[in-house]
Amino acid sequence: MRGVREIIALIRNGMRENRLLFFLLAGFALFPIYTGVADLPFWEDVAMRIMLLGMAAMGLNLVLGYGGMVSFGHAAFLGVGAYCVGISQSFGLMNGWAHLLISIGVCGTLGLMIGYLALRTSGIYFIMITLAFAQMLFFLFVSLEVFGGDDGMSIDRAEFLPLDLYEPLRLYFLIWVMLVLVSVLLMLLVRSRFGVTLRAIRNNASRIQAMGIEPLDFRITGYVISAVICGVAGTFFASWQEYVSPDIMHWSRSGELMIIIVLGGLGTLAGPLLGAVVFLLLEEFLPELLYLIAPDYAENWMIIFGPLLIAVVLFGRGGLIGMLEYLSPRSRGGGAS
Amino acid sequence: MGAMTLTLFLEQLFNGLQAGVTLFLIAAGLTLILGIMDFVFLAHGSQVMVGAYAGAAITSWTGNFYLGLVLAIPVTFASGYLIEYLLVRHLYRRDHMEQVLATFGLILFFNELVRIGFGPAALFSDLPPSLSHFVEILPNTPYPLYRLVVIGVGLACALGIHLFVSGTKTGAMVRAGANNPEMTAAMGVNISLLFRLIFAAGAAFAGLAGALLGPLTSVESGMGEPLLILSLVVIIIGGIGSVRGAFIAAILIGIVDTLGRIFLPMLLRQILHGSAADGAGPALASMLVYILMAVVLIFRPQGLFPPRG
Amino acid sequence: MTMPVLELRAVSKSFGALKATDKVSLDVRSGEIHALIGPNGAGKTTLIQQIYGALQPEEGEIRLNGVNITGLSIPARVRAGIGRSFQISNVLTDITVLENSIIAEAARRGEAFRFLHPAFSDPDLIAGGMRILDRVGIAELAGIRVDELAHGQRRMLELALAMAAAPSLLLLDEPMAGAGPEESQTMTTIIEQLKEGAAVLLIEHDMDAVFRLADRITVLVEGAVQAAGTPEEISRNNEVRQAYLGEEIQHAGT
Repeated sequence: MRGVREIIALIRNGMRENRLLFFLLAGFALFPIYTGVADLPFWEDVAMRIMLLGMAAMGLNLVLGYGGMVSFGHAAFLGVGAYCVGISQSFGLMNGWAHLLISIGVCGTLGLMIGYLALRTSGIYFIMITLAFAQMLFFLFVSLEVFGGDDGMSIDRAEFLPLDLYEPLRLYFLIWVMLVLVSVLLMLLVRSRFGVTLRAIRNNASRIQAMGIEPLDFRITGYVISAVICGVAGTFFASWQEYVSPDIMHWSRSGELMIIIVLGGLGTLAGPLLGAVVFLLLEEFLPELLYLIAPDYAENWMIIFGPLLIAVVLFGRGGLIGMLEYLSPRSRGGGAS
Repeated sequence: MGAMTLTLFLEQLFNGLQAGVTLFLIAAGLTLILGIMDFVFLAHGSQVMVGAYAGAAITSWTGNFYLGLVLAIPVTFASGYLIEYLLVRHLYRRDHMEQVLATFGLILFFNELVRIGFGPAALFSDLPPSLSHFVEILPNTPYPLYRLVVIGVGLACALGIHLFVSGTKTGAMVRAGANNPEMTAAMGVNISLLFRLIFAAGAAFAGLAGALLGPLTSVESGMGEPLLILSLVVIIIGGIGSVRGAFIAAILIGIVDTLGRIFLPMLLRQILHGSAADGAGPALASMLVYILMAVVLIFRPQGLFPPRG
Repeated sequence: MTMPVLELRAVSKSFGALKATDKVSLDVRSGEIHALIGPNGAGKTTLIQQIYGALQPEEGEIRLNGVNITGLSIPARVRAGIGRSFQISNVLTDITVLENSIIAEAARRGEAFRFLHPAFSDPDLIAGGMRILDRVGIAELAGIRVDELAHGQRRMLELALAMAAAPSLLLLDEPMAGAGPEESQTMTTIIEQLKEGAAVLLIEHDMDAVFRLADRITVLVEGAVQAAGTPEEISRNNEVRQAYLGEEIQHAGT
């Protein structure tokens, strides 16, 4: 009982220190009221997609932002998670809880294998080897004709008893709960001894060695956790999209996740989710905007993203959250965040 | 049956050679950029695309394929020069992740730019009649003349690069820059100009590869990225910073990849039976080069022919 | 006689044609400060790297408390009882001094792999961290970010972290490099106190400090041991004086 109270206290503290994340999560919880009243099921759908991308980005942020490992292959875990659902269903297994367990197991194991091999390298070699593994998985699924190959496979919404996901808002809130769980997990993780040490390894691995710790153990563990989080996001992606194809694990998807994280704020808790919100809102509104200004080029709205990303890298240290902190007069102190 | 396979084998061998030299043209610049300037330039594939589009566009405007091919070179040289001057040189001191993100942004930009300029459909790039026939490389073994031309151009460029780097003063500066940039700068060499020229030259070779590939593949947005990834595999296997390594690795990968795609499924169908072979064959063939790279990284991480020093 | 904490037996290492370490044998006992001196390029840091585990010797044996550690990784050797301070400050710069010591404390307790409770606000870890800082007297710097510290203060933190796990062998690689005269004095005093309960192998160029602190001195020249003995013996050794020490010895040693 005392353990539970401690955890609740920890979460309370965490919420206080991460107001933005708390508000975003609360916002997502309340959003269906608005879409219900204004009858905008389309935006409900968009919100689910934002939550899922945000979840995956949070997973990648653990290794990218906190761990300093530039993994260009994380979309592969997203895809594997989704395919776990598809493949299970093709064998008649419709139970969503089972899908979740399978996905966690498979992505965890895959993450362990890839991490164990890739994390012995660093720099460009690490980037390349994670990219290579992602490509291997991509081509593997493309050539698996039995599971749809290039065309992909359609998926029924999984059975998450006692919920019926085809009822309105059930899937929405299931995804929301998972997002909250992932957020809480990361909130605790980042401040814990593990998290603090992992971040220190990013800053100065040799110092951590001098303290008697093997950096590889921590990096692999972080990698596995992030792989599992991406896999879980993928599992729900499958039910949301009701379809999965190898495109979900194309390496440009990994790039997209990176854009989201950097846009929101690398190495912060709320950054990935904030980035997902902004990224997908841009995706929805930019075409409209361009249509008003230069209708001939409206369908080329994507051209904004390239320079935007370059600008964020060159000038926007810390993404949107970095900008917010810079503008806000209070937060000028230290402390882990 | 045996003669048919021999013909097929030879044909695919030459295809592999052709793929290899084009990969070399792309990888040569990339290995120097990564090796000398320690810059992760993901948008190198975009340079290939720029060259392909330039070649195809100029060909259709002037009606002269050779003109398109030749003019694609200065166009991509200029684009490389500009990119280095405007963006890349500000990122040398940043960490790899930021370089990855910024050049990823460049990819997005270029992919959309060509769509705006030329529309979303693939561009038509056709061979002139003078290059369209077949040649008998062996009795009863016809082979497209154009592919032989590509092989020839690629080998000529490789020779030219080799002579330049080992024989000329500027080449010596490049080698010195590869081994020790600080000392080279201290000796009075204008390092930033040298870097810019290396960058632009690398882009030009990539653009040439793109223009050469135009008639053989589809000239469309995003065509550069698969080639970029393959080139990265090439330079990892060859050894980052080594042009010689890039050459050998590129030929190796070109041949292995091409032959693998044709013969591996055949081989597997002999060993395994039934649908397992149908799935496993193509899957394994496309994974082959990555498996090769992973093996090299595990057993000889500096590559097969790392530059000395 | 008790077993020495550190024992090197005929350790050798070459880099191509260069013999960086040439059949070096020495030992360091608990409660003593053993100084390693020699001209630049003599191979002192290379030797320390081999003891620490960053480099592997080609020949010879390295024993810690009687156990052969020649094959162990760096973290394994640290856990076996080695503490090291680096010549160039190697501390975590984007956090505070106390946070540095908290991470060291968590590592010392073998708790680094815990996932739930916040580390930097944990009272136990804070207490342990403060104890680490107290040992070198920098407790008042606890809340300051490391990248705002002066160079000398960073050297003190470096020393504190080296001692964090109460190692049986302390490798001090030029601890006073770049420190001012006052800080050098403070450090010399602290190092003197350190030898109770630990064996100290000290590389230093500051000859005053060396002759004040060292119980024994080994002189390394071109990778090989040229002379070894007490400070008096070394100061009287003519070869050493000619090759390396010159007049400095006369002042310090007498």
